[in-house]
Amino acid sequence: MRKALWLVGLLALGGLASAQTFVWPQKWTVAKPQEAKRGGTLRAAVISDYRTFNPFITAEATNVPDLISGGRGLVMRDPTTGNWIPYMAESWTVSPNKLEITFKIRRGMKWSDGRPITADDWITTWRIHTDKAVGSNSYDSFFLDGKPITLRKIDDYTVRFIYPKTDAEAFAVASFEPWPAHIFGPVYQREGAEGIKKMWGLNEDPDKIVSGGPWLIESYRPGERLVLKRNPAFGEWNKDEAGNPLPYLDRYEIKIVKDVNAQLAEFLAGNIDVIAPATVDHISQIRQAIQQGRLDATIKVNASPVASSQFMVFNWNKASDPFKQSLFRSDKFRRAMSHIVNRQAVIDIVYGGLGTPMYSSVYPVLTQWINPKVPKYEYNLQQAAKLLAELGFTKKDREGYLVDSKGRRLEFNLATNAGNTQREQIAKLIVDEAKKVGVKVNFQAIDFNTLVGQLLSSGPDRPFDAIIIGLTGGGLDWPFGANVVPCKGNLHMWNKSGQCLDPRETQLDALYSRGRAELDFEKRVEIGYRMQEIEAQLLPVIYIAGPNYHPAWNNRLGGEHPDAIISSIWGQRELELTFIKK
Amino acid sequence: MTAYILRRVLYLIPTFFGATFLAFLIIQMAPGDYLTQLELDPKVTPETIARLRAQFGLDRPVYEQYLLWMNNLFHLNLGYSFAYQAPVLEVIWPRVLNSMVIVIPSTVLLYLVAIPVGVYGALRPYTLGDRVLSFLAYVGLSVPSFFLALIAIYVLLQIKFATGTLLFPVSGMTSSGFEQMPPLRQILDIAWHAVVPVLVATANDIAGLSRLMRGQMLEVLSQDYIRTARAKGLAERAVIYKHAFRNAVIPFVATLGGLLPGLISGAGFVEVVMAWPGITPFFLDAVANQDLYVIAGFLTVSLVLLMVGNLLSDLLLAWVDPRIRYE
Repeated sequence: MRKALWLVGLLALGGLASAQTFVWPQKWTVAKPQEAKRGGTLRAAVISDYRTFNPFITAEATNVPDLISGGRGLVMRDPTTGNWIPYMAESWTVSPNKLEITFKIRRGMKWSDGRPITADDWITTWRIHTDKAVGSNSYDSFFLDGKPITLRKIDDYTVRFIYPKTDAEAFAVASFEPWPAHIFGPVYQREGAEGIKKMWGLNEDPDKIVSGGPWLIESYRPGERLVLKRNPAFGEWNKDEAGNPLPYLDRYEIKIVKDVNAQLAEFLAGNIDVIAPATVDHISQIRQAIQQGRLDATIKVNASPVASSQFMVFNWNKASDPFKQSLFRSDKFRRAMSHIVNRQAVIDIVYGGLGTPMYSSVYPVLTQWINPKVPKYEYNLQQAAKLLAELGFTKKDREGYLVDSKGRRLEFNLATNAGNTQREQIAKLIVDEAKKVGVKVNFQAIDFNTLVGQLLSSGPDRPFDAIIIGLTGGGLDWPFGANVVPCKGNLHMWNKSGQCLDPRETQLDALYSRGRAELDFEKRVEIGYRMQEIEAQLLPVIYIAGPNYHPAWNNRLGGEHPDAIISSIWGQRELELTFIKK
Repeated sequence: MTAYILRRVLYLIPTFFGATFLAFLIIQMAPGDYLTQLELDPKVTPETIARLRAQFGLDRPVYEQYLLWMNNLFHLNLGYSFAYQAPVLEVIWPRVLNSMVIVIPSTVLLYLVAIPVGVYGALRPYTLGDRVLSFLAYVGLSVPSFFLALIAIYVLLQIKFATGTLLFPVSGMTSSGFEQMPPLRQILDIAWHAVVPVLVATANDIAGLSRLMRGQMLEVLSQDYIRTARAKGLAERAVIYKHAFRNAVIPFVATLGGLLPGLISGAGFVEVVMAWPGITPFFLDAVANQDLYVIAGFLTVSLVLLMVGNLLSDLLLAWVDPRIRYE
């Protein structure tokens, strides 16, 4: 009997040993593995409620499926280098024509219900995401220029991605998180998309939610709190350098607090451990509490710019007003407008001194993509006046506004979405600066949906002059927008006539396609640099400035990123390597 | 009486259709729809948005959407939430229950405090006590509830900084580890969290209601029959509570009908500021997202409750006020 037990034990050990582990590098955290303690609860807060546990219909930026799975797939990025590294894959090979990537899947990975994670899980997940009737938010990411990216199962532990053309974002596509085929597959076969949509709603028993990532759902109280607990199956193949299973934490608790002031109060009271304050007032309250010894916490002010843009865009399609149309289509005019944008004042007044000026479509945080040699057209009223004079605006009328030889006044309407106080302040600054050089800007804050309607309307005559708006979503692999740069793109906001109007638009369009298909990173960056040079000449939109990222945490937490990688891209820490010190 | 009730119920039918159609129309008149937000996402193609719009039925004419929705309504189906991809009732109901934890105690407290305060003021008009209460009432009326909630949070934090203990929670409805608590502790935990929101939610309304009560009471006390009662040598207690109070309270009976929809409509911005998972933050979200059927469904339930409430208060009024007779 005893011998038999030994044998079982040995077999179990053998089984464990054959699990191919992913070792989380020590350089991703400031803590040494021997410092890390097991157990405890990390407490955080989010602003909006969760809406579903279903990975195929979730539409929010932060959602439960991403949380429990860790948001990772076959590959993940190394935050110290930005490179793709194998994660749920053990290795990969790229075909000579670069259209196929074959991934060897790590063995020994298990779902939380004990079933092995295999190629079928990727195949089923991809099938469901690409079923139109499901309405998955990831649908578009599986297409390249309208042509599908397909997956093929080679064997249980090998899966091949086949791309219709070479793609710089190939690995980003392959990083999608898999979901259990043994749960979703049978329902999908039986009831199709409708069956999938009914699964894993908020009323689902948390014990029935299966995860392949670091967390399981312990409980969820709508509008109140999501409590996650450690998934032991994850620790079998995710270890630190000392061989300890990850994550260290027992629980991860997320409170839903809709008011940012209340969130701050929770942080100041020591009830939540992490926060990223956005306003100067909140930052100074945290600093004060730390200095006065009321709160044992750390705050990194100006850790990096955030990954988003704020800009002013002029409408090139105004057939009903040829004067304005020719004005808005003139790069000289747009350059003059860039010169009247006082970016430093925007940073000082709107972001309380904690912001970063922007001059190109590449977010300032993506430092390796920024071409430093591109002209910036900084705040310079004389230069603006000179350029406007070159356009024929030399005289001023009785009210002090510039007019051309035919007496037409230099005047346009500027709109942004009402309720976005930061954008409204930016607009008012622009109105004031424009007045100084004699340009009349009529500012109006309008409803967000009306604004988007105007911005995205198409054809030769669109109903606006200029709009201030922002975008997020540029990536590290290729930071240019897939539907922003191409002339037919639906976010090609300045010109929605459906064709390129300026030869430089055509050039950008072509360079975009070339860059997206270039697999060599260095060469891709070169193309990106060239695009920024053309952008600077054309100036299709005028970038303004953006806020910075200021993460803060309670000092009971350990395992944050080293300072060099704390940024809006990589965040303040890897949750898997986070632990409770006291 | 039966005929009257029947007639009242019949009147409710056209009111219901008119009101729901109007509500539906107004919601639809707002520019854009649930998917407009998505249109600014550089990763989503216009084809996908068009496909989703067709899937949600948002590409059909308004009257068609309304008829479809009405049809669902007759099958007791309030519709489907776009954001939650779940039936409206399923997502709304837990929030309504959470709100009731604040609304019911605060309503009870409101009447318990406001009526005596009003009566007190009316019996001793322009004395120091009345003036102090009046002053407090005006302060209560003029400070918005969200601001009062922020002040409450600030005070709680200052107490915490000074003494190291948190008297009451600054937000939320339950503590960490709530699920592991025994049932009695869970109830106590919720009650502990509810104290501040209930007080804040009540504070505003007390002012208005006590002012109203004071005015009513003053008016009734100046009536001839009160003078007569006093002249007859009736005890002051009997004059005030049997004659004056019963008459002064009649207008309040008429407002009781409003309590019914009030029960499900939440405690307002207190919920938002103090992160109470009630219906107000949820509904605001739905409005911001243009989650059509959540808004329409919630309005419909409120409407039905308002109609039923009004009917009930009319009947109650007939019962307490002998001057009203339905023939």
